[in-house]
Parts: sequence; C-alpha cells; structure tokens
Amino acid sequence: MASEDDEFTMLFQDFYPSLCRFLECLLGGRAPLAQDLAQESFLQLHRTAWGTLPVGEARFWLYRVARNMAINEFRKSNTRYRLFDRVVEVMRPRARNPEQEYEVQERNAMVLEMLQTLPEDQRAALLLREQEQLSYREIGQVLNISESKVKVDIFRARASLRERWSKLSGISRVARMGN
Amino acid sequence: MNCSFIEKISSLIDGELSPTEAREVERHLLTCSECEQLRADFLNLRSQITSFETSLQPEVQNRALKKILAGPRRAPARGLQWGFGTQALAFAVLLIVVGVIGFVAYQKSNQRDRQDMAKVQNPAPMPAASVEPSKSPEAKESPEPQPSPNKGSEEKSPRQAPNKRPIVREPKPGEQFAAIPEHVRSADAETMTAMHFETSERLLLAFKNVRLDEPSAAEEVGYERKRAKQLVYQNMLLKREADAAGDVQISSLLENLEPILIDIANLPDRPDENTVRAIRERVERKNIVGLLRVNSTALARALD
Repeated sequence: MASEDDEFTMLFQDFYPSLCRFLECLLGGRAPLAQDLAQESFLQLHRTAWGTLPVGEARFWLYRVARNMAINEFRKSNTRYRLFDRVVEVMRPRARNPEQEYEVQERNAMVLEMLQTLPEDQRAALLLREQEQLSYREIGQVLNISESKVKVDIFRARASLRERWSKLSGISRVARMGN
Repeated sequence: MNCSFIEKISSLIDGELSPTEAREVERHLLTCSECEQLRADFLNLRSQITSFETSLQPEVQNRALKKILAGPRRAPARGLQWGFGTQALAFAVLLIVVGVIGFVAYQKSNQRDRQDMAKVQNPAPMPAASVEPSKSPEAKESPEPQPSPNKGSEEKSPRQAPNKRPIVREPKPGEQFAAIPEHVRSADAETMTAMHFETSERLLLAFKNVRLDEPSAAEEVGYERKRAKQLVYQNMLLKREADAAGDVQISSLLENLEPILIDIANLPDRPDENTVRAIRERVERKNIVGLLRVNSTALARALD
C-alpha cells in the first residue's frame, strides 16, 4: 500500500504541474480553477482507476478526464469563477522582481489570448503536442479521435495562430513606433 | 500560400513523417523560401506556447497531494454503509495493531529459538588448545570448515533497503524553463548547440513514432540510426565545448543525450520491441525532448 502511494506520489509530482498548465491554457487562464480540476482528476484516479490501469496509461487517463472536466466548465455559466480568479490572481505572492513578473504575465496573456481564438478541439490537440510532447497517436487516444484528425487539427491550429500572431506582432510594432 | 508541402511541414516538426517523406520535405525546404519561413514561424509559435508558465505554487501542490492521499482509495459500493462509524473503525484498527504486534513477537521468539537450536547443532569451532585428545580420527578428518561467527553475522546483516525514490522530489529541470546561461560562450558554439538540440529533438520524436509492426520499420530504424551516428560525434564535440565554457546546464543535457544517441546508433536492423521501448522510456523519464526544446529555445532567444 505504501509503495502504491509512493508510486502515485511520483506520478503526481511528475504530472500535476503540467496538467495544471494544460488546463490553464485550455480554460484561458483561471489558474485556481485549473488547479482544482487537476486535483479532482488526480483524486478520481486515486480513488477509482489507480492500480487497475497499465503503467503508461495513467497519464493519458488523467488528461482525458481533465479535459472532460474542462469541457463541462465551458458549458457552465462561469462569471462567478472569473471574478474569483481575478481576485486570487491579484493577491498571489510574487517571487520574481516586478519587471520579470510583468514580462512573464505579458507573455502568458498573449499566449492565452491567441489560444482562445482556436476551437476547443484544436486547442487541446495543439497543447498536448507542444506542451506535453505527445505523439499524434497518443493525442488521438486522449481526445478519442483518429490520428489523421489530430494531424489536421494541429496543422489548422498552427496555420490560424500564425496568421493571428503576425497580425498581433504587426500591431505591437506599430504601437511601439507610435510611442 | 499554395505550396503543396505546407501541411507536411507541420508533421515534419512533430517528427511524424516517414524517413522518405521527411527527406523529401527537407529537400524541398532548401528551395522554397515560403515553406522555410512557415517552418520557422511554426517553431516560433511552439516556443511561445511552451514558454507559458503555470502560476502553480509549491504549497498548493503539496496541499493537493495531501488531500488526495488522505482520501479513501476506492469508493465503497453504495449499499455497503457501516452503521458503527468511527468507533468500530478504531476498534478494528486496534485489533489489527494488536494482531500485528503479536505476530511480530511470535516470529521473533521463533527466530530466537531457531538460532539457539542452530547453535546447539553447529557449535562454533573450539580453540585448538581445547580439542580433546580422545576424539575419534573420523572427527578430525572432517574437511568441512564450520562457518565462522563473523560470516554468520554477515548473513544475518539487514538486507539493503531498496533504492526508493524520494516521495517529494526536486522539480525536474524540464519543468522550469531554462534560464539563459549567464556567462557568454561563443555565438558559433551556441548556434551549433541550438541546432544540435533541434535536430536531436526531431530525431527522438521520430524515433518515438517508429512502429515496429509496420513493414517500413527496418528502413525507418536504419534512417534514425544513421542520423544518431552523425549526432553522437557532434554531441561529444559540443559537450567538450560546453565543459570548456563552464556551461554546466548545457553540458549535463549533452551528457544525458549521449548514451541515448549511442543506443539508437547501435540498434540492429530489426530491433526487438523491448529494446526500443527501453530507450523510449529512458527518453521520457529523463524528459530529454522537453529539455532539448526548452534549451534550444533559450539559446535561440539569447542569440536573437
């Protein structure tokens, strides 16, 4: 039992941060909600599926469950969460100096803004590819779609972001010149 | 853009093309500036997306883990509701504890008895001076040496504790985005290293996607093996360069990469599934692909 808990702890330490990041990007920010959903996914894994899943499957199981939870959240009316998240965001202690913090926040905000322009399925596929380095086959398993759809979704997501990115860069360049 | 290759460029940077297709697209890139630009833009997007930092605090993570581990393992069936509550649970725990203590005590006393018995049956060799002269010649001839007390104690020494990984580990290097090295190395070496990381990342991704059950597996493995061979030498040179410049981070990544490249380079034409799986698992466990990506991005930014 103890060793099972140790194994679970290792899995948790390895993948909890990346699951939080995946959910945060999927949800368009809202870090506290992303962390809650990640925790809930691990809780479900621990309660129900842990020990019955093959070793390599637990990670995919987690991403699948977490993504379903995120989809449920999209469906809910979520103004309350958004407000709460903003309050928490402002109150969070900062470890870096203000300049670095500002830079990170700016970059994060830009990434989130771009990702939010994508349909959810493309966004999930792209995030699993870029951040989690899953192969098309593994992404297909997590999202329950075919490999060829994964390929097309990822390509479309990139093409669309590329276009938007060039527009955004153009705008910021013009703004800098104006200043 | 109307080029027919644009969709394949996305698959190329993901290492999802077959060796033949990859070669074809790479050749095309040399002649088509639009596609080359597309590839650069896709890689740039990748670096933007991977640079997203989660705002997770370590204390939140630890709290979440404690909460999960404190919960029940498997939800009991709905109909099975115990009416005794916590008292019954406490009593059951007490019974188990008493049982375990009793069992351990019983085992220990048994063990002691066995040791005593063993001493009686195999007495330690007597010192030479105390050997009785009246002993029979057969007894003297007995060639088997008795185990020395020291050896006995060695045998009884506690077994080595299994090499367990600590419960709460340091964050993996790949989880934190690599900082740009503070010291300055030559721009050439940095460019070479960034390119080396990018190529190695593509190789490892392609290797991850090789399917051994497909007829083209031997060709694919052969291609990856050739690429790995080229990269091994480059890896050694760049590691030497990084060591000389005192760049510990890059040097350690190259050091981790080297045995993996060597293993791929030494694969037979038809490697068995276990060997390939073992290499893939090592790559994943050490998060090599993530580290390569993060570091090549950091180096490229530093060069910009």
